[in-house]
Amino acid sequence: MSDDSVPLSLPLLGLAGSSEVTTLYRELRKPLLRYLVCLGLSSDEAQDVVQDAFLSLQRHLASDGKQENTRGWLFRVAHNQARNRQASYHRRFSEPLDGGMDFLADDATPEQRVLEKEKFRRLAAAMRLLTESERECLLLRAGGLRYREIGEVLGMAVSTVGDTVERAIKKLAEKCNV
Amino acid sequence: MCDIQAKLVAWLDRELSSDEAADVDRHIKECRECRDRLATYKQMSEDFDVYCDVVVAGKTRRRVSRWAPVLASAVAAGVVLFLAFPQRRIESPPVLAPTLAAASVPVPTPRAGEAAPRKAVRRRNAVPAVQKRAMKWQPTETAVQIAIPAEEMFPPGAIPEGMNFIAELSIAPDGSVQQVRLRQ
Repeated sequence: MSDDSVPLSLPLLGLAGSSEVTTLYRELRKPLLRYLVCLGLSSDEAQDVVQDAFLSLQRHLASDGKQENTRGWLFRVAHNQARNRQASYHRRFSEPLDGGMDFLADDATPEQRVLEKEKFRRLAAAMRLLTESERECLLLRAGGLRYREIGEVLGMAVSTVGDTVERAIKKLAEKCNV
Repeated sequence: MCDIQAKLVAWLDRELSSDEAADVDRHIKECRECRDRLATYKQMSEDFDVYCDVVVAGKTRRRVSRWAPVLASAVAAGVVLFLAFPQRRIESPPVLAPTLAAASVPVPTPRAGEAAPRKAVRRRNAVPAVQKRAMKWQPTETAVQIAIPAEEMFPPGAIPEGMNFIAELSIAPDGSVQQVRLRQ
């Protein structure tokens, strides 16, 4: 997802005045989009949710609201909005991983392409065997969140997050024969 | 199985306290099994990261319409035709205007008490003579034939494996598409 694909720029949202929010937007837009798309939202829906999350942050800060862990807060808001939009969460998440193999370098041999495709097909199948919380923990972890932040987003204890992440990684490794 | 295995993922994520991390550091230097497991978890984490990118790339790519390449080809063909035949105008057949003599012929009016002459039965879809003559003119010659292989029309991966076809477009001199045919 390139920067060009952003439908509304930050100044258009009236957030240009807040340098903190602008910096956060630049830093967290991509991880948030990736998290939301991997949760099952479409690319357009994810863009909308990210915009809404930053608008909420702006309003929150403008109303003299203090926020210590802004990153975790943004992910939590985006997560909750995504949940509200996802009537068909499971169906959409379990879509087969068709196409999308263009990330491979052009000089990759056909054999390499087949092997990579097979690897990600197995991974996609293994992902469907995870519980919802395991999937969400892994996705938030891949978004760069600490266990404490993941716990805040999902409403779980830090120790539970640790156990869940470990269990999920083990399951994937077993299913994918890594 | 070592007890320390339960801490390997947290160690990888730098989520352990300094004391716990030091314990794991010491242990993995001695335990080959834990080292292997650690490598596996690390590889899995990296693969998962790439997997997320693949999902995002796949969903973003689907936003582009499958017909975009076909439309682009059609527009390109139109431009080629326009450049190839810029001066050629299609003369439309002459429309015959009614002559003065014909216009001056008095129209007979039925007299009172006399039955009106029966109207000529006209078929609903009867075509006037002038129009018929115009219909006889047809661009019969094909100016350009374009064959586009399926893989050129669709993005990679859009066509199921084993399926292949060629789209043939026959375009008349006036730029209209005469025929579109798919063949294998």
